[in-house]
Amino acid sequence: MSTATAFADVDAALRAVAPLPRANGELVFEEVWQGRALGLGVVVLERTGVTWSEFRDYLVTAIAAHVPAPGESAATAYYTAWLNTVEALLVARGLVPAKAV
Amino acid sequence: MSDAQDHNEDLHHQRPASPIELRARALEAVLAEKGLVSTDAIDAVIELYENDVGPQNGAKVVARAWVDSAYRERLLANGAAAIAELGYGGEEGNTMVVVPNGPGVHNAVVCTLCSCYPWPVLGLPPSWYKSAPYRARMVAEPRAVLREFGLELPPETTIRVWDSTAEVRYLVLPERPSGTDGWAEEALAALVTRDAMIGVAVPRAERASA
Repeated sequence: MSTATAFADVDAALRAVAPLPRANGELVFEEVWQGRALGLGVVVLERTGVTWSEFRDYLVTAIAAHVPAPGESAATAYYTAWLNTVEALLVARGLVPAKAV
Repeated sequence: MSDAQDHNEDLHHQRPASPIELRARALEAVLAEKGLVSTDAIDAVIELYENDVGPQNGAKVVARAWVDSAYRERLLANGAAAIAELGYGGEEGNTMVVVPNGPGVHNAVVCTLCSCYPWPVLGLPPSWYKSAPYRARMVAEPRAVLREFGLELPPETTIRVWDSTAEVRYLVLPERPSGTDGWAEEALAALVTRDAMIGVAVPRAERASA
């Protein structure tokens, strides 16, 4: 099992408008689910053929729409928006029914 | 200090899952049912991003410096610019100092304050790099730490330990292993490990696979 998607490509695709959360240049995964969310997005895009530019546009929208809970960290907010993006993309393509999750 | 430093998986595992964590699991389960993801595939991505992607960039930089002395000079004069020549870098990697190993001199990199790391060339840092013992002991007793990594240096070798900061990141340029005359750049790059560019290992020709 392997992936054809290089991290550098993901990073480059998102850097300008929806950069992955970092601290001191290092990726921030505060909790295990955040790293899995990143991996989940990569696998979904590989299997559906959705491009990173399309994903990025959805992600920008999702980040703008997300209302952080009080005290919510930047990484939690980002990867929450990330999950919303994956879901919205798949619903838009009819691959999962709305409200499936 | 960053949130990342507070990262503690054990603690996270012990407390109840948060709503968003449950949602992440639920989404993964739904997508797995639809055949859109699998646990193995996600694991493979995470593993790749942790171990493989970045160091390959750094390895190509090192191999180029081994075969091209003009490139080596540019790399040592301005690391970020020379690394950018190969298409690597990013805003966070902009100040990169490349420290060359040589006869009697070995370099190693640490971040005593937190876990600053040249991710554009080395990818995600290994977990030990972020550990308190590595951060403290690499400065206090580098020779002992290197020995624990399996790197026994001659007593006369000078060990220089470089402390990364948010502003300056360091990359070790290892010595080209003997017995590699005439090797193609790609084969040379395959000898260069992440650990060698952090300075806790040195490349060896016998590591090469045909």
